[in-house]
Amino acid sequence: MNTNPSRRILVGVGNAGVTVLDMLSVEVPGMTGLLAVNNDRDSLNASIVRDKIEVPEGDPGEGFRVIDDEFGQALEGASVVILCGGLGGETGSFLLSALAIRAKSTGLTTMACVGMPFSFEGKHRRDLAERALEKLQEICDAVIVIGNDQLSGGSPSTAAVGEAFLLSDRTLLASLLALTGMLSTSGPVKITRADIHNVLGKPGALTHFGFGKAEGSNRLHEALERAMKSPLLVLPGKGSALKESSMILLLLRGAKDISFAEVQAVVSKIEQIAGENCQIKMGVHADGPLGSSFELHLLTSSGGTLRKPAKTSESIEPNEPIGSKRTALSQPIKPLREEEMPSRHGPLEKGADELFPVFTNSISKSGKKSAAVPKQMQGTLALDTYQRGRFDKSEPTIVEGEDLDVPTFLRKGIKLNPPSRK
Amino acid sequence: MINEQIFVGLEIGTTKISVIVAEARADDQISILGVGETPSRGVRKGEIVDMETVTECVREAILDAEDKTNVEIGNVWVAITGSHLASFNNRGSLALPEERQIEPEDLDAVEISAKEVAIPTPNTFLHTILQAYHVDGNQNVIDPLKSEGAMLEADFHIVHGIKTRIHNTLRCIESLKIGIEDVVLSSLASAQVVLSQDQKNYGALMIDIGGGTTDYLVYIDGSIRHSGVLALGGDHITNDISVGLRLPIARAEFLKIQEGSAADPVGSPGGIISLKNDPRFLGCDVDRSSLDTIIHLRVNEIFELIRRDIESSVEGIMDLIRGVMITGGGSKLKGIAQVAEEVFEIPVELTRARNVSGATQIFEDPQYSTAIGLTKYARLVTKNIGPESMLERFTQGLGSLFKKRLR
Repeated sequence: MNTNPSRRILVGVGNAGVTVLDMLSVEVPGMTGLLAVNNDRDSLNASIVRDKIEVPEGDPGEGFRVIDDEFGQALEGASVVILCGGLGGETGSFLLSALAIRAKSTGLTTMACVGMPFSFEGKHRRDLAERALEKLQEICDAVIVIGNDQLSGGSPSTAAVGEAFLLSDRTLLASLLALTGMLSTSGPVKITRADIHNVLGKPGALTHFGFGKAEGSNRLHEALERAMKSPLLVLPGKGSALKESSMILLLLRGAKDISFAEVQAVVSKIEQIAGENCQIKMGVHADGPLGSSFELHLLTSSGGTLRKPAKTSESIEPNEPIGSKRTALSQPIKPLREEEMPSRHGPLEKGADELFPVFTNSISKSGKKSAAVPKQMQGTLALDTYQRGRFDKSEPTIVEGEDLDVPTFLRKGIKLNPPSRK
Repeated sequence: MINEQIFVGLEIGTTKISVIVAEARADDQISILGVGETPSRGVRKGEIVDMETVTECVREAILDAEDKTNVEIGNVWVAITGSHLASFNNRGSLALPEERQIEPEDLDAVEISAKEVAIPTPNTFLHTILQAYHVDGNQNVIDPLKSEGAMLEADFHIVHGIKTRIHNTLRCIESLKIGIEDVVLSSLASAQVVLSQDQKNYGALMIDIGGGTTDYLVYIDGSIRHSGVLALGGDHITNDISVGLRLPIARAEFLKIQEGSAADPVGSPGGIISLKNDPRFLGCDVDRSSLDTIIHLRVNEIFELIRRDIESSVEGIMDLIRGVMITGGGSKLKGIAQVAEEVFEIPVELTRARNVSGATQIFEDPQYSTAIGLTKYARLVTKNIGPESMLERFTQGLGSLFKKRLR
């Protein structure tokens, strides 16, 4: 993975957060910019993450004050901070929001990736988690919320408790990878921080996440099918969460030979499920060796309302700790800097639009758009002019990287005389 | 057994399901007793996507065939196609412990050695078709059983495909309590009745254009050198017309059959085709050259893809092909031979089942080539096998029987 440690720091908070970072270090060897923060010395000692901050045990507010400076130093040189952990416990619930405020106050783009407790963990933890989440969503530019109960598809799981927690950690990891992957997309087909904010920056929203991995000639199709089967993409009683989305983040990662046609087939398939009012924002990492497996990540959210990305200090209440004491903030919270949230109308973006109109232009078919989404121009190669017709729902015929279900004359750009109606 | 000389070929196509009931005559000829047929639903690009619907369609086709021929159908030979099928050539070798006469078991052993190659895990072997034997470095030994040697080698054309997809077809038929004699690559079945032995010896490319797939097979010196399945067919042409001229699929299909031509429309006079109003369709005028352009581009592309695939299979293979034989329902499209001639630059002939007798209107229709071919294949496999016919059996691709393969 090509990430620049000077730009992005992943902070694992509490036992769950540290576990996820450990899993990440195994999954992506050599990944830098990881920081483990916990008040559990055993957990920190066991962790393979290099940079660690130990929070003194006892009152979390007091503990945070002790590590405040150390944490501030760790953030130096970064432009994005992603906090990861489980909500519901005393440590995670308090520390996540305290660290988020601290990061935000230094002007960094702050995101979080958190797991909500299982219902069997009890009402107390649930309430604690909900309060902490509310705070996090208020502070952060984007929050991924993984509802652990949803992982079992809404019905009580028969899985062992240990397995349930493992699944929950794995899902947090996958969503964290999706988020970091999206942040590190570059070039003409990228997901901007503004896109992420639009999807994940809504207080009260629930995140829907799908991940699929496949190999072989039909890899994209299979990866999408697997991703679509994710229980986190299901809205109870309503079917696929994509149907309710106004914007979907799509990250494709795989071999160099991912073709335009393959990507297009996936986008049009998602578009079919998501409906006409949905925009698909896509990022592609096509730098793997030939023949490597292909990964597809989908992120979207339901519920909640979007607030403005740039916040002022007035809009954020000083942290109300779970403990009795208030946390002192060493610096006032600054609004998000302009360059941290690139506008779609920035010069770089414009160039990309011209180069790759299909990818970067709106995939929305109808005029109805969410107010928060900037209006976009229709490119000459817009996807909806591509039609697979009756083959829409069938497995694509991909030969030499081209989707051959799309009529030949369309792919060759041949002009036809339309029929004249009587 | 009463029906020993009756063979039933079943093709579950994308457009239609055909059941051919044929009788083997004493002179090895096949005589067609009749055909049962239903339009196909639940099949896309040659593969079953809706098991329940397809099973119902197959049942109807079998009942139709039983009604028309008065034959009770117990076992069938089934054609299989789909883009999951892949092929390659491989040489097997067997070192004998001493120089001695080659035994029939040695031929089996060398075939097994040729199959000792890695195919994708979900795949299974469908055919292992003999190309040539070599004994002690003597190339192309006609009958190895009559020669002595210490090293037996053999070249095979090997066809494999995804197990679960092949099983889908089998499950569908078995659920109707009908036995399966064998599963045969569609193009291999068609070739049995479409190509003459002379053509196979001389070097021929057979292309079977169906509704959902185009299947092709190359014979050089009497043996199969390459086979392929392209998941493109007549349906794609219809879809292209429907998209390009903004017409419903049924209208597009009608235009393709009645008016369309695959020949390059550049320089042709063009004109207007008037589609009349009817209660469910607002009439319109269609530009003939637009229609023909859509068809030409697609057909030309299909042939180009086949040509490129064949060229990349075996070096110099294209130069050894002396003629192209086109069959299948798609071969009925006007101007198709002309396009093929431009792409392959060798003589092209439109063809259908030959050397069969019986119901003429059936075997004269190229869309039944595969189903009829199945019965011919069945005849070749089941006739008494002596050492003399063993070679023929192998070279026709009749190497291993289905039941042996399912282990």
